[in-house]
Amino acid sequence: MNDGQSESAKPFDPFEPFRGMRDAYLDAMAKVMVDAVNSEGYAQASGVMLDAYLTASAPFREALERSMVHALEQLSLPSRQEVTALAARFTNLEMRLDDMDAKLDAIVAAQQKAAAKTAEPPKPAPDSAAAGAGARPEAADTKPPGRRGARDGKR
Amino acid sequence: MAEAAVRPDQPSQLERRLQTLSRVLTTRAQIAQTPKRMVWALNKARLFRYFPVVPAQQRHRIPLLLIFAIMNRPSILDLRPGHSFVEHMVKRGYDVYLLDWGVPGIEDQDLKFDDYALEYLPRAIRKMKAVSGVEEFSLLGWCIGAILTTIYAAMRPNDGLRNLLLLTAPLDFSNRQGLTFARWTDSKYFPLEKVLAAFGNMPGEMIDYGAKMLKPVDNFVGNYAKLWDIIDDPRAVEAWHAMNTWVTDYIPMAGGAYRQLIDDFYRKDRLMQGQLVIRGQRVDLSRVRANLFTMIAEGDHITPPCQSASIMDKVSSNDKELFRIPGGHIGIMAGSQAHKLTWPHIEQWLGARSE
Repeated sequence: MNDGQSESAKPFDPFEPFRGMRDAYLDAMAKVMVDAVNSEGYAQASGVMLDAYLTASAPFREALERSMVHALEQLSLPSRQEVTALAARFTNLEMRLDDMDAKLDAIVAAQQKAAAKTAEPPKPAPDSAAAGAGARPEAADTKPPGRRGARDGKR
Repeated sequence: MAEAAVRPDQPSQLERRLQTLSRVLTTRAQIAQTPKRMVWALNKARLFRYFPVVPAQQRHRIPLLLIFAIMNRPSILDLRPGHSFVEHMVKRGYDVYLLDWGVPGIEDQDLKFDDYALEYLPRAIRKMKAVSGVEEFSLLGWCIGAILTTIYAAMRPNDGLRNLLLLTAPLDFSNRQGLTFARWTDSKYFPLEKVLAAFGNMPGEMIDYGAKMLKPVDNFVGNYAKLWDIIDDPRAVEAWHAMNTWVTDYIPMAGGAYRQLIDDFYRKDRLMQGQLVIRGQRVDLSRVRANLFTMIAEGDHITPPCQSASIMDKVSSNDKELFRIPGGHIGIMAGSQAHKLTWPHIEQWLGARSE
């Protein structure tokens, strides 16, 4: 009864009759196309087309590149090659900074370890000790120390 | 009478469908929403740490670092609230980190697997160790990310890697008949050097076109036919929209890495043959000692199952599991069944090895 009601309540979809036909057609086409692209013939044809495009467009690309380098020179602007070289130097600098950052992390960790070893064990009241033990790691995890956060933020 | 009641609705229903269609095809869905903060950066790469949501006492000790492919956004791991692998793992007490390789510019065209696996990845791991305060860690590599994590695991076996999870890992290229990509990129047909000379990096659009051409009717027609079929179901439409947003976010692949992928992997199968040289050193898979979990998607047409199984016999890990699951390359982690089939299994395996 309910099924019958929901069937009759379902709005008429003008595309419904075509769905089955469409799916059958797409399935058949999908199989044909998968076989086609898996063939040596397709690999060869796509390779030839790509090679032809790249070969044909190469002279234009090179001419455009030459004129662009010339124009940038005239305008006293750096070329793409120069900007690329500069970017590589920046990355090298970043790596040096990253190494220093790691050394600072190691120093801070060693200091904290040493401080923890030398510090006298606190003797708080039992209630506050339990609360502190639970709260400290949570705070450290969700909000890192200010120094570390500041260094990260600069990037 | 009944017909008269239905008829006036027809135009508005069609209009609504067209509006929905227009919206999902012309706008971008909000994806990668799980709260996180950046803890490290180098060039275009960024390391993110997700904010924990469970009390410290209930969290797993060993942090988990997620590594996705270099030619796609890693946001697929955090697709949308309520359907996100990252969110799932954070809710189950993992300290989750994500390495986003970023978008390579023309200045990065010489970046190679060497740089990603032995420069960027170890530095990100170093930072993760400093932030988490734990020397051991787990690595999850998916797709090309699995190649990078495997290389890292073999080259740096003493760095503290406890668990290595490889999802749909394209590692074995020996079965050339089973690999459509291998046929297309064969040196007889594919002008690799001309492509890289013309573009520097491999354009994202070309990579995407190649992936879609593996199943052209499904990807160019079937996908949109499916959208039309689900157009009246808002939840299904939002899922489609999120996935489409991720799929259409093309990223180029650094030229040097692309050259290696085609020449060293697809054409010469150097990793499995034990001939792959990274930074002057041979990558010896028998040096991988971490606990190993390999997941194979049975219906994967991008990384067919034959590419991921043979790693199990090459590594020295005592604790290893090969898990086969129905689904496709992306669907196993981001599809509608992922939260029922894939994520719980990963979580179960990792949970027992993360204390």
